[in-house]
Amino acid sequence: MQRTLGIETEYGITVDGADSVDVVAESISLVRSYTQVEPPVKDSALKWDYELEDPHQDVRGFRVDELMQDFDEAKYFVQDQNRKLSFQEIKSDLVLSNGARYYNDHAHPEYATPECKSLRDIIAQDKAGERIIEECVRRRNLHTTGGVVKVYKNNTDFVGHSYGCHDNYLMDRDIPFDVVIRGLTPFLVTRQIVAGAGKVGIENEEGAPGGVYQISQRADFFSVLVSIDTMNRRPIINTRDEPHADSDKYRRLHVIIGDANMSEISAALKIGTTSLVLDLLEQRLCPLTIELADPIAALKTISRDPNLKSTVRLYGGRSIGAVDIQRQYLVAAQQHLRGRDEETDWVLATWEQVLADLERDPMLCRDRLDWVAKQWMLDAFVEAEKLGWDEPWLQSLDLEYHNVRRDEGLYAELMRADKIQRFIKDDDVRRAIRQPPRDTRAYFRGRCIEKFARQMTSVQWDEIAFGENDHESVVRLLNVFDDEEVARYNAAIDKAPDVATLLRNLEMIRR
Amino acid sequence: MPDPNAQFPERIHRPNSPAPWEKKETDEGGPRRPDVDAPDTKELLKKMRRVDPNQAKRYRQRTGE
Repeated sequence: MQRTLGIETEYGITVDGADSVDVVAESISLVRSYTQVEPPVKDSALKWDYELEDPHQDVRGFRVDELMQDFDEAKYFVQDQNRKLSFQEIKSDLVLSNGARYYNDHAHPEYATPECKSLRDIIAQDKAGERIIEECVRRRNLHTTGGVVKVYKNNTDFVGHSYGCHDNYLMDRDIPFDVVIRGLTPFLVTRQIVAGAGKVGIENEEGAPGGVYQISQRADFFSVLVSIDTMNRRPIINTRDEPHADSDKYRRLHVIIGDANMSEISAALKIGTTSLVLDLLEQRLCPLTIELADPIAALKTISRDPNLKSTVRLYGGRSIGAVDIQRQYLVAAQQHLRGRDEETDWVLATWEQVLADLERDPMLCRDRLDWVAKQWMLDAFVEAEKLGWDEPWLQSLDLEYHNVRRDEGLYAELMRADKIQRFIKDDDVRRAIRQPPRDTRAYFRGRCIEKFARQMTSVQWDEIAFGENDHESVVRLLNVFDDEEVARYNAAIDKAPDVATLLRNLEMIRR
Repeated sequence: MPDPNAQFPERIHRPNSPAPWEKKETDEGGPRRPDVDAPDTKELLKKMRRVDPNQAKRYRQRTGE
Protein backbone atom coordinates (compact mmCIF):
# COMPACT_ATOMS: atom_id res chain seq x y z
CA MET A 1 0.00 0.00 0.00
CA GLN A 2 1.13 3.59 -0.44
CA ARG A 3 -1.17 5.39 1.97
CA THR A 4 -1.35 6.32 5.65
CA LEU A 5 -4.14 4.26 7.26
CA GLY A 6 -5.78 3.70 10.62
CA ILE A 7 -8.68 1.79 12.21
CA GLU A 8 -10.72 2.89 15.26
CA THR A 9 -12.75 0.16 16.97
CA GLU A 10 -15.31 0.55 19.74
CA TYR A 11 -15.84 -2.64 21.73
CA GLY A 12 -19.01 -3.79 23.51
CA ILE A 13 -19.04 -4.86 27.18
CA THR A 14 -21.23 -7.02 29.34
CA VAL A 15 -21.02 -8.67 32.74
CA ASP A 16 -22.06 -12.30 32.93
CA GLY A 17 -25.24 -12.88 34.85
CA ALA A 18 -25.97 -9.17 35.45
CA ASP A 19 -29.33 -7.86 34.30
CA SER A 20 -28.07 -4.31 34.11
CA VAL A 21 -24.50 -3.14 33.64
CA ASP A 22 -22.94 0.29 34.17
CA VAL A 23 -21.11 0.12 30.87
CA VAL A 24 -19.38 3.47 31.42
CA ALA A 25 -17.83 2.33 34.71
CA GLU A 26 -16.84 -0.99 33.18
CA SER A 27 -15.31 0.70 30.16
CA ILE A 28 -13.27 3.07 32.36
CA SER A 29 -12.08 0.17 34.53
CA LEU A 30 -11.09 -1.89 31.52
CA VAL A 31 -9.05 0.88 29.95
CA ARG A 32 -7.35 1.74 33.21
CA SER A 33 -6.44 -1.85 33.93
CA TYR A 34 -3.88 -1.50 31.14
CA THR A 35 -1.77 0.92 33.17
CA GLN A 36 -1.29 -1.44 36.11
CA VAL A 37 2.00 -2.85 34.89
CA GLU A 38 2.85 -0.47 32.07
CA PRO A 39 4.94 2.36 33.57
CA PRO A 40 5.55 4.44 30.43
CA VAL A 41 1.89 4.26 29.48
CA LYS A 42 0.86 5.14 33.01
CA ASP A 43 2.98 8.28 32.74
CA SER A 44 1.22 9.25 29.53
CA ALA A 45 -2.30 8.77 30.92
CA LEU A 46 -4.86 11.58 30.65
CA LYS A 47 -2.65 13.78 28.47
CA TRP A 48 -4.76 13.71 25.30
CA ASP A 49 -5.31 17.22 23.95
CA TYR A 50 -9.05 17.56 23.20
CA GLU A 51 -8.69 21.20 22.13
CA LEU A 52 -7.24 20.07 18.82
CA GLU A 53 -10.39 18.07 17.98
CA ASP A 54 -13.35 19.58 16.16
CA PRO A 55 -15.97 17.08 15.02
CA HIS A 56 -18.22 20.00 13.92
CA GLN A 57 -15.98 21.00 11.01
CA ASP A 58 -17.44 19.78 7.71
CA VAL A 59 -15.31 18.81 4.75
CA ARG A 60 -17.74 20.65 2.45
CA GLY A 61 -16.31 23.90 3.74
CA PHE A 62 -18.48 24.93 6.68
CA ARG A 63 -18.79 24.37 10.39
CA VAL A 64 -22.07 23.01 11.79
CA ASP A 65 -23.43 24.58 14.98
CA GLU A 66 -24.47 21.26 16.38
CA LEU A 67 -24.38 17.56 15.61
CA MET A 68 -27.42 15.38 16.13
CA GLN A 69 -25.40 13.49 18.72
CA ASP A 70 -24.80 16.64 20.80
CA PHE A 71 -28.17 16.05 22.48
CA ASP A 72 -27.17 12.50 23.44
CA GLU A 73 -23.74 13.68 24.53
CA ALA A 74 -25.31 16.37 26.74
CA LYS A 75 -27.64 13.77 28.28
CA TYR A 76 -24.75 11.43 28.99
CA PHE A 77 -22.70 14.34 30.32
CA VAL A 78 -25.40 15.06 32.92
CA GLN A 79 -25.57 11.37 33.89
CA ASP A 80 -21.80 11.14 34.09
CA GLN A 81 -21.56 14.20 36.34
CA ASN A 82 -22.81 11.98 39.17
CA ARG A 83 -19.67 9.90 38.90
CA LYS A 84 -17.49 12.50 40.63
CA LEU A 85 -14.88 12.05 37.93
CA SER A 86 -13.53 14.78 35.70
CA PHE A 87 -14.10 14.70 31.94
CA GLN A 88 -10.47 13.57 31.52
CA GLU A 89 -10.89 10.83 34.10
CA ILE A 90 -14.03 9.54 32.39
CA LYS A 91 -12.26 9.49 29.03
CA SER A 92 -9.21 7.81 30.62
CA ASP A 93 -7.17 8.47 27.51
CA LEU A 94 -3.98 6.47 27.10
CA VAL A 95 -1.37 6.71 24.39
CA LEU A 96 0.46 3.41 24.09
CA SER A 97 4.08 2.70 23.28
CA ASN A 98 2.99 1.28 19.90
CA GLY A 99 1.60 4.73 19.03
CA ALA A 100 -2.06 3.71 19.47
CA ARG A 101 -4.75 5.60 21.39
CA TYR A 102 -6.80 3.58 23.88
CA TYR A 103 -9.66 5.23 25.81
CA ASN A 104 -13.28 5.18 26.92
CA ASP A 105 -15.50 6.54 24.13
CA HIS A 106 -19.24 6.77 24.82
CA ALA A 107 -19.20 3.77 27.16
CA HIS A 108 -17.09 1.68 24.82
CA PRO A 109 -13.39 0.96 25.17
CA GLU A 110 -11.93 2.23 21.90
CA TYR A 111 -8.64 1.18 20.38
CA ALA A 112 -7.41 3.45 17.60
CA THR A 113 -4.45 1.92 15.81
CA PRO A 114 -1.34 3.96 15.18
CA GLU A 115 -0.96 5.25 11.64
CA CYS A 116 0.26 2.45 9.36
CA LYS A 117 1.41 2.37 5.76
CA SER A 118 1.25 -1.33 5.01
CA LEU A 119 -1.57 -3.87 5.17
CA ARG A 120 0.62 -6.15 7.24
CA ASP A 121 1.09 -3.44 9.88
CA ILE A 122 -2.51 -2.26 9.98
CA ILE A 123 -3.90 -5.78 10.42
CA ALA A 124 -1.25 -6.60 13.04
CA GLN A 125 -2.09 -3.39 14.91
CA ASP A 126 -5.82 -4.07 14.73
CA LYS A 127 -5.23 -7.54 16.17
CA ALA A 128 -2.86 -6.06 18.78
CA GLY A 129 -5.87 -4.02 19.95
CA GLU A 130 -7.85 -7.24 20.44
CA ARG A 131 -5.02 -8.79 22.45
CA ILE A 132 -4.57 -5.67 24.60
CA ILE A 133 -8.28 -5.63 25.40
CA GLU A 134 -8.25 -9.38 26.06
CA GLU A 135 -5.46 -8.78 28.58
CA CYS A 136 -7.44 -5.93 30.17
CA VAL A 137 -10.43 -8.26 30.52
CA ARG A 138 -8.18 -10.80 32.27
CA ARG A 139 -6.79 -8.20 34.66
CA ARG A 140 -10.24 -6.75 35.33
CA ASN A 141 -11.65 -10.18 36.12
CA LEU A 142 -8.86 -10.83 38.62
CA HIS A 143 -10.13 -7.95 40.74
CA THR A 144 -13.85 -7.72 40.16
CA THR A 145 -16.21 -8.83 42.86
CA GLY A 146 -19.18 -8.96 40.49
CA GLY A 147 -19.77 -11.17 37.48
CA VAL A 148 -17.24 -11.99 34.82
CA VAL A 149 -16.65 -9.17 32.34
CA LYS A 150 -16.89 -10.04 28.65
CA VAL A 151 -15.89 -7.88 25.71
CA TYR A 152 -17.00 -8.18 22.10
CA LYS A 153 -15.52 -6.79 18.90
CA ASN A 154 -18.84 -6.34 17.12
CA ASN A 155 -21.16 -3.45 16.22
CA THR A 156 -24.58 -4.04 17.71
CA ASP A 157 -26.59 -5.13 20.74
CA PHE A 158 -29.35 -6.49 18.40
CA VAL A 159 -31.98 -4.00 19.65
CA GLY A 160 -30.91 -0.83 17.89
CA HIS A 161 -27.70 0.36 19.56
CA SER A 162 -24.72 0.36 17.25
CA TYR A 163 -21.10 1.33 17.84
CA GLY A 164 -18.49 1.73 15.21
CA CYS A 165 -15.40 0.47 13.56
CA HIS A 166 -14.10 3.33 11.43
CA ASP A 167 -11.40 3.01 8.81
CA ASN A 168 -9.37 6.10 7.98
CA TYR A 169 -7.33 7.06 4.94
CA LEU A 170 -5.09 10.06 4.38
CA MET A 171 -5.76 11.42 0.90
CA ASP A 172 -5.11 14.42 -1.33
CA ARG A 173 -7.16 17.45 -0.42
CA ASP A 174 -7.50 18.68 -3.97
CA ILE A 175 -10.03 16.09 -5.18
CA PRO A 176 -13.46 17.74 -5.24
CA PHE A 177 -15.58 16.12 -2.55
CA ASP A 178 -18.50 15.56 -4.92
CA VAL A 179 -16.18 13.35 -6.98
CA VAL A 180 -15.27 11.45 -3.81
CA ILE A 181 -18.98 10.93 -3.07
CA ARG A 182 -19.76 9.84 -6.62
CA GLY A 183 -16.80 7.50 -6.91
CA LEU A 184 -17.05 5.94 -3.47
CA THR A 185 -20.78 5.47 -2.90
CA PRO A 186 -21.36 2.34 -5.03
CA PHE A 187 -18.10 0.89 -3.76
CA LEU A 188 -18.91 1.41 -0.07
CA VAL A 189 -22.52 0.20 -0.46
CA THR A 190 -21.25 -3.09 -1.89
CA ARG A 191 -17.97 -3.44 0.07
CA GLN A 192 -19.91 -5.42 2.69
CA ILE A 193 -19.83 -8.54 0.49
CA VAL A 194 -16.11 -8.86 1.20
CA ALA A 195 -15.94 -7.12 4.58
CA GLY A 196 -19.30 -7.65 6.33
CA ALA A 197 -19.20 -9.38 9.72
CA GLY A 198 -22.66 -11.02 9.44
CA LYS A 199 -25.65 -10.55 11.76
CA VAL A 200 -28.70 -12.49 12.88
CA GLY A 201 -31.78 -10.26 12.71
CA ILE A 202 -32.96 -6.86 11.49
CA GLU A 203 -32.91 -3.75 13.73
CA ASN A 204 -34.67 -0.38 13.74
CA GLU A 205 -37.52 -1.54 11.52
CA GLU A 206 -41.01 -2.22 12.75
CA GLY A 207 -42.57 -5.37 11.37
CA ALA A 208 -39.28 -6.70 10.00
CA PRO A 209 -39.38 -10.44 9.44
CA GLY A 210 -37.55 -12.65 11.95
CA GLY A 211 -34.94 -15.25 11.12
CA VAL A 212 -33.05 -13.05 8.65
CA TYR A 213 -29.29 -13.48 8.35
CA GLN A 214 -27.59 -10.31 7.10
CA ILE A 215 -24.19 -9.77 5.53
CA SER A 216 -23.55 -6.52 7.43
CA GLN A 217 -23.84 -5.63 11.12
CA ARG A 218 -24.14 -1.91 10.37
CA ALA A 219 -26.41 -1.66 7.28
CA ASP A 220 -29.58 -1.24 9.40
CA PHE A 221 -28.15 1.93 10.96
CA PHE A 222 -27.58 4.05 7.85
CA SER A 223 -30.24 6.43 6.62
CA VAL A 224 -28.62 9.24 4.58
CA LEU A 225 -26.06 9.47 1.82
CA VAL A 226 -23.86 12.31 3.11
CA SER A 227 -23.63 13.94 6.53
CA ILE A 228 -21.26 14.95 9.29
CA ASP A 229 -23.13 12.93 11.95
CA THR A 230 -21.85 9.61 13.23
CA MET A 231 -24.28 8.54 16.00
CA ASN A 232 -27.69 9.46 14.57
CA ARG A 233 -28.88 9.46 10.96
CA ARG A 234 -25.61 7.88 9.98
CA PRO A 235 -24.36 8.60 6.45
CA ILE A 236 -22.72 6.36 3.86
CA ILE A 237 -20.17 9.15 3.32
CA ASN A 238 -19.13 10.96 6.49
CA THR A 239 -17.97 14.57 6.08
CA ARG A 240 -16.18 15.16 9.39
CA ASP A 241 -13.15 17.25 8.55
CA GLU A 242 -10.43 16.40 11.02
CA PRO A 243 -7.38 15.57 8.91
CA HIS A 244 -4.98 15.38 11.86
CA ALA A 245 -2.54 16.67 9.25
CA ASP A 246 -1.86 19.80 7.22
CA SER A 247 -5.37 20.74 6.13
CA ASP A 248 -4.10 22.60 3.05
CA LYS A 249 -2.73 19.36 1.62
CA TYR A 250 -4.63 16.48 3.14
CA ARG A 251 -8.03 15.17 4.01
CA ARG A 252 -8.69 12.18 6.25
CA LEU A 253 -11.45 10.06 4.75
CA HIS A 254 -13.39 8.84 7.78
CA VAL A 255 -15.32 5.72 6.70
CA ILE A 256 -17.97 4.83 9.28
CA ILE A 257 -19.96 2.24 7.33
CA GLY A 258 -17.70 -0.75 7.98
CA ASP A 259 -18.12 -3.65 10.39
CA ALA A 260 -15.50 -4.67 12.95
CA ASN A 261 -13.74 -7.70 11.51
CA MET A 262 -12.46 -10.77 13.28
CA SER A 263 -11.14 -12.32 10.04
CA GLU A 264 -7.75 -10.97 9.03
CA ILE A 265 -8.55 -11.55 5.35
CA SER A 266 -11.85 -9.63 5.57
CA ALA A 267 -10.08 -6.77 7.32
CA ALA A 268 -7.18 -6.75 4.83
CA LEU A 269 -9.62 -6.70 1.92
CA LYS A 270 -11.68 -3.94 3.53
CA ILE A 271 -8.66 -1.67 3.95
CA GLY A 272 -6.79 -2.81 0.85
CA THR A 273 -9.63 -2.43 -1.65
CA THR A 274 -10.70 0.94 -0.23
CA SER A 275 -7.16 2.23 -0.42
CA LEU A 276 -6.89 1.13 -4.07
CA VAL A 277 -10.18 2.83 -4.95
CA LEU A 278 -8.81 6.03 -3.39
CA ASP A 279 -5.67 5.63 -5.54
CA LEU A 280 -7.95 5.46 -8.58
CA LEU A 281 -9.83 8.56 -7.41
CA GLU A 282 -6.62 10.51 -6.85
CA GLN A 283 -5.36 9.54 -10.29
CA ARG A 284 -8.73 10.43 -11.86
CA LEU A 285 -9.14 6.80 -12.97
CA CYS A 286 -12.04 5.73 -10.76
CA PRO A 287 -15.18 4.42 -12.47
CA LEU A 288 -17.82 7.12 -12.16
CA THR A 289 -20.46 5.57 -14.38
CA ILE A 290 -22.27 3.57 -11.68
CA GLU A 291 -24.97 5.69 -10.04
CA LEU A 292 -27.24 3.91 -7.60
CA ALA A 293 -30.84 5.11 -7.75
CA ASP A 294 -31.26 4.64 -3.99
CA PRO A 295 -27.99 3.92 -2.16
CA ILE A 296 -29.62 3.44 1.26
CA ALA A 297 -32.14 0.92 -0.08
CA ALA A 298 -29.34 -0.82 -2.00
CA LEU A 299 -27.23 -1.09 1.17
CA LYS A 300 -30.04 -2.89 2.98
CA THR A 301 -31.13 -5.03 0.02
CA ILE A 302 -27.59 -6.36 -0.42
CA SER A 303 -27.11 -6.94 3.29
CA ARG A 304 -30.29 -8.99 3.57
CA ASP A 305 -29.49 -11.34 0.72
CA PRO A 306 -26.59 -13.63 1.67
CA ASN A 307 -27.25 -15.64 -1.50
CA LEU A 308 -26.16 -12.53 -3.47
CA LYS A 309 -28.92 -13.00 -6.03
CA SER A 310 -30.51 -9.54 -5.60
CA THR A 311 -29.88 -6.68 -7.93
CA VAL A 312 -30.09 -2.97 -7.16
CA ARG A 313 -31.39 -0.19 -9.38
CA LEU A 314 -29.18 2.32 -11.14
CA TYR A 315 -30.19 5.71 -12.48
CA GLY A 316 -31.59 5.09 -15.92
CA GLY A 317 -33.46 1.95 -14.92
CA ARG A 318 -30.77 -0.73 -15.29
CA SER A 319 -30.22 -3.18 -12.39
CA ILE A 320 -26.94 -4.71 -11.27
CA GLY A 321 -25.70 -7.15 -8.61
CA ALA A 322 -23.23 -6.33 -5.81
CA VAL A 323 -20.51 -8.62 -7.20
CA ASP A 324 -20.69 -6.89 -10.58
CA ILE A 325 -20.38 -3.44 -8.99
CA GLN A 326 -17.33 -4.54 -7.01
CA ARG A 327 -15.87 -6.10 -10.15
CA GLN A 328 -16.00 -2.77 -12.01
CA TYR A 329 -13.72 -1.26 -9.37
CA LEU A 330 -11.53 -4.37 -9.40
CA VAL A 331 -11.05 -4.23 -13.18
CA ALA A 332 -10.09 -0.54 -13.06
CA ALA A 333 -7.61 -1.25 -10.25
CA GLN A 334 -6.14 -4.22 -12.13
CA GLN A 335 -5.76 -2.12 -15.24
CA HIS A 336 -4.00 0.79 -13.58
CA LEU A 337 -2.39 -0.42 -10.35
CA ARG A 338 -1.27 -4.01 -10.94
CA GLY A 339 2.45 -4.58 -10.47
CA ARG A 340 2.92 -1.46 -8.34
CA ASP A 341 3.94 -3.34 -5.19
CA GLU A 342 3.45 -6.78 -3.63
CA GLU A 343 0.62 -5.81 -1.30
CA THR A 344 -1.33 -4.20 -4.14
CA ASP A 345 -0.96 -7.40 -6.15
CA TRP A 346 -2.09 -9.49 -3.17
CA VAL A 347 -5.21 -7.34 -2.78
CA LEU A 348 -6.01 -7.54 -6.50
CA ALA A 349 -5.55 -11.34 -6.64
CA THR A 350 -7.49 -12.02 -3.44
CA TRP A 351 -10.29 -9.60 -4.34
CA GLU A 352 -10.68 -11.27 -7.76
CA GLN A 353 -10.71 -14.76 -6.24
CA VAL A 354 -13.21 -13.83 -3.54
CA LEU A 355 -15.60 -12.21 -6.03
CA ALA A 356 -15.39 -15.28 -8.28
CA ASP A 357 -16.10 -17.58 -5.33
CA LEU A 358 -18.96 -15.41 -4.07
CA GLU A 359 -20.50 -15.51 -7.52
CA ARG A 360 -20.21 -19.28 -7.78
CA ASP A 361 -21.30 -20.05 -4.22
CA PRO A 362 -20.77 -17.66 -1.26
CA MET A 363 -20.08 -20.67 1.01
CA LEU A 364 -16.77 -21.15 -0.82
CA CYS A 365 -15.53 -18.09 1.10
CA ARG A 366 -16.18 -19.54 4.55
CA ASP A 367 -12.43 -19.84 5.19
CA ARG A 368 -11.79 -16.13 4.49
CA LEU A 369 -14.79 -13.85 5.07
CA ASP A 370 -16.43 -13.17 8.43
CA TRP A 371 -20.03 -13.14 7.29
CA VAL A 372 -19.69 -16.44 5.46
CA ALA A 373 -17.73 -18.15 8.25
CA LYS A 374 -20.38 -17.07 10.77
CA GLN A 375 -23.21 -18.24 8.51
CA TRP A 376 -21.47 -21.59 7.99
CA MET A 377 -21.03 -22.01 11.74
CA LEU A 378 -24.67 -21.11 12.44
CA ASP A 379 -25.88 -23.37 9.61
CA ALA A 380 -24.03 -26.25 11.24
CA PHE A 381 -25.66 -25.49 14.59
CA VAL A 382 -29.16 -25.07 13.15
CA GLU A 383 -28.77 -28.39 11.36
CA ALA A 384 -27.34 -30.22 14.37
CA GLU A 385 -29.89 -28.88 16.86
CA LYS A 386 -32.83 -28.86 14.44
CA LEU A 387 -33.56 -25.18 15.08
CA GLY A 388 -35.27 -22.50 13.01
CA TRP A 389 -33.39 -19.34 12.01
CA ASP A 390 -35.73 -17.31 14.25
CA GLU A 391 -34.33 -19.10 17.34
CA PRO A 392 -32.99 -16.37 19.75
CA TRP A 393 -30.06 -18.61 20.71
CA LEU A 394 -28.53 -17.78 17.30
CA GLN A 395 -28.05 -14.12 18.28
CA SER A 396 -26.13 -15.26 21.35
CA LEU A 397 -23.92 -17.42 19.12
CA ASP A 398 -23.53 -14.48 16.73
CA LEU A 399 -22.35 -12.38 19.70
CA GLU A 400 -19.93 -15.07 20.90
CA TYR A 401 -18.27 -15.15 17.47
CA HIS A 402 -16.88 -11.73 18.49
CA ASN A 403 -15.77 -12.54 22.06
CA VAL A 404 -12.15 -11.34 22.33
CA ARG A 405 -11.19 -14.10 24.76
CA ARG A 406 -9.47 -16.75 22.71
CA ASP A 407 -10.50 -19.52 25.10
CA GLU A 408 -14.18 -18.58 24.70
CA GLY A 409 -14.81 -16.86 21.39
CA LEU A 410 -16.29 -18.80 18.49
CA TYR A 411 -14.14 -17.07 15.88
CA ALA A 412 -11.15 -18.15 17.96
CA GLU A 413 -12.48 -21.71 17.88
CA LEU A 414 -12.66 -21.60 14.06
CA MET A 415 -9.05 -20.39 14.07
CA ARG A 416 -7.98 -23.13 16.44
CA ALA A 417 -9.62 -25.72 14.20
CA ASP A 418 -7.73 -24.27 11.20
CA LYS A 419 -10.93 -23.36 9.39
CA ILE A 420 -9.96 -19.72 8.77
CA GLN A 421 -7.08 -18.40 6.69
CA ARG A 422 -4.58 -16.01 8.27
CA PHE A 423 -3.08 -12.88 6.78
CA ILE A 424 -0.44 -12.29 9.45
CA LYS A 425 1.40 -14.37 12.03
CA ASP A 426 1.15 -14.36 15.81
CA ASP A 427 4.65 -12.86 15.99
CA ASP A 428 3.45 -9.84 13.98
CA VAL A 429 0.72 -9.28 16.56
CA ARG A 430 3.07 -9.76 19.52
CA ARG A 431 5.42 -7.16 18.10
CA ALA A 432 2.59 -4.73 17.36
CA ILE A 433 1.39 -4.78 20.98
CA ARG A 434 4.46 -2.76 22.01
CA GLN A 435 6.14 -1.54 18.86
CA PRO A 436 4.90 1.18 16.51
CA PRO A 437 5.22 0.86 12.73
CA ARG A 438 8.63 2.23 11.68
CA ASP A 439 7.43 3.96 8.52
CA THR A 440 4.92 6.47 9.91
CA ARG A 441 4.94 9.30 12.47
CA ALA A 442 3.46 6.79 14.95
CA TYR A 443 7.03 5.64 15.56
CA PHE A 444 7.97 9.07 16.88
CA ARG A 445 4.89 9.16 19.14
CA GLY A 446 5.42 5.62 20.44
CA ARG A 447 9.11 6.20 21.16
CA CYS A 448 8.29 9.48 22.94
CA ILE A 449 5.99 7.50 25.22
CA GLU A 450 8.70 4.93 25.77
CA LYS A 451 11.44 7.45 26.54
CA PHE A 452 9.91 10.73 27.70
CA ALA A 453 6.31 10.09 28.85
CA ARG A 454 6.85 11.96 32.13
CA GLN A 455 7.97 15.14 30.40
CA MET A 456 5.06 15.09 27.96
CA THR A 457 2.32 17.58 28.84
CA SER A 458 -0.09 16.77 26.04
CA VAL A 459 -0.38 14.56 23.00
CA GLN A 460 -2.51 14.34 19.85
CA TRP A 461 -2.20 12.55 16.52
CA ASP A 462 -0.40 15.52 15.00
CA GLU A 463 1.49 17.08 17.89
CA ILE A 464 3.26 16.37 21.16
CA ALA A 465 4.00 18.95 23.83
CA PHE A 466 6.83 18.72 26.36
CA GLY A 467 7.13 20.81 29.50
CA GLU A 468 10.22 21.67 31.50
CA ASN A 469 10.77 24.47 33.99
CA ASP A 470 7.39 26.08 33.29
CA HIS A 471 8.18 26.21 29.58
CA GLU A 472 6.22 24.20 27.02
CA SER A 473 7.64 23.14 23.66
CA VAL A 474 5.40 21.74 20.97
CA VAL A 475 6.51 19.30 18.27
CA ARG A 476 4.12 19.48 15.34
CA LEU A 477 3.73 16.39 13.15
CA LEU A 478 1.29 17.85 10.62
CA ASN A 479 3.53 17.07 7.65
CA VAL A 480 5.49 14.04 8.79
CA PHE A 481 4.29 11.56 6.16
CA ASP A 482 6.83 11.03 3.40
CA ASP A 483 9.52 8.41 3.98
CA GLU A 484 12.42 10.84 4.30
CA GLU A 485 10.67 13.08 6.79
CA VAL A 486 9.57 10.08 8.88
CA ALA A 487 13.16 8.76 8.85
CA ARG A 488 14.50 12.14 10.09
CA TYR A 489 12.05 12.19 13.02
CA ASN A 490 12.78 8.52 13.77
CA ALA A 491 16.50 9.20 13.92
CA ALA A 492 15.97 12.22 16.15
CA ILE A 493 13.93 10.34 18.75
CA ASP A 494 16.20 7.26 18.62
CA LYS A 495 19.36 9.29 19.26
CA ALA A 496 18.04 11.76 21.83
CA PRO A 497 19.17 11.02 25.41
CA ASP A 498 16.82 13.69 26.79
CA VAL A 499 14.01 16.01 25.75
CA ALA A 500 16.25 19.06 25.43
CA THR A 501 18.48 17.28 22.90
CA LEU A 502 15.45 15.98 21.04
CA LEU A 503 14.02 19.48 20.70
CA ARG A 504 17.38 20.89 19.57
CA ASN A 505 17.78 18.17 16.94
CA LEU A 506 14.26 18.68 15.66
CA GLU A 507 14.90 22.40 15.39
CA MET A 508 17.86 21.61 13.12
CA ILE A 509 15.68 19.34 10.97
CA ARG A 510 13.14 22.10 10.50
CA ARG A 511 15.74 24.63 9.34
CA MET B 1 -25.89 -36.21 14.16
CA PRO B 2 -25.80 -35.13 10.51
CA ASP B 3 -22.46 -34.03 9.14
CA PRO B 4 -22.88 -30.28 8.64
CA ASN B 5 -20.05 -30.24 6.12
CA ALA B 6 -21.90 -32.65 3.89
CA GLN B 7 -24.25 -29.92 2.68
CA PHE B 8 -21.48 -27.66 1.41
CA PRO B 9 -20.41 -27.76 -2.19
CA GLU B 10 -17.04 -28.96 -3.32
CA ARG B 11 -14.35 -26.30 -2.94
CA ILE B 12 -12.49 -24.89 -5.88
CA HIS B 13 -8.90 -25.93 -5.20
CA ARG B 14 -7.01 -22.96 -6.55
CA PRO B 15 -3.81 -21.93 -4.81
CA ASN B 16 -4.16 -19.08 -2.36
CA SER B 17 -2.21 -15.92 -2.75
CA PRO B 18 0.29 -16.06 0.10
CA ALA B 19 0.75 -12.82 2.01
CA PRO B 20 3.30 -10.73 0.10
CA TRP B 21 6.03 -11.01 2.72
CA GLU B 22 5.80 -14.78 2.98
CA LYS B 23 8.31 -17.10 1.34
CA LYS B 24 7.03 -18.22 -2.05
CA GLU B 25 6.34 -21.94 -2.21
CA THR B 26 7.32 -24.16 -5.12
CA ASP B 27 4.81 -24.89 -7.86
CA GLU B 28 4.55 -28.49 -6.73
CA GLY B 29 3.88 -27.83 -3.10
CA GLY B 30 1.70 -24.70 -3.14
CA PRO B 31 0.81 -22.86 0.04
CA ARG B 32 -1.01 -24.87 2.67
CA ARG B 33 -4.79 -24.42 2.73
CA PRO B 34 -6.64 -24.40 6.02
CA ASP B 35 -8.43 -27.59 6.79
CA VAL B 36 -11.90 -26.29 5.95
CA ASP B 37 -13.14 -29.56 4.52
CA ALA B 38 -12.43 -31.67 7.56
CA PRO B 39 -15.71 -33.08 8.80
CA ASP B 40 -14.85 -32.42 12.44
CA THR B 41 -17.20 -29.77 13.75
CA LYS B 42 -17.69 -31.72 17.00
CA GLU B 43 -15.57 -29.37 19.13
CA LEU B 44 -17.14 -26.28 17.57
CA LEU B 45 -20.67 -27.54 18.16
CA LYS B 46 -19.76 -28.52 21.73
CA LYS B 47 -18.53 -24.99 22.36
CA MET B 48 -21.63 -23.49 20.72
CA ARG B 49 -23.93 -25.56 22.93
CA ARG B 50 -22.20 -24.08 25.99
CA VAL B 51 -23.18 -20.53 24.98
CA ASP B 52 -26.00 -19.17 27.14
CA PRO B 53 -29.06 -18.94 24.84
CA ASN B 54 -30.08 -15.71 26.62
CA GLN B 55 -26.70 -14.00 26.38
CA ALA B 56 -27.79 -11.66 23.55
CA LYS B 57 -31.03 -10.75 25.35
CA ARG B 58 -29.04 -9.37 28.28
CA TYR B 59 -26.47 -7.63 26.10
CA ARG B 60 -27.43 -3.95 26.11
CA GLN B 61 -25.13 -1.13 25.03
CA ARG B 62 -25.12 2.63 24.70
CA THR B 63 -25.12 3.88 21.14
CA GLY B 64 -21.62 4.70 19.98
CA GLU B 65 -20.32 6.18 16.77
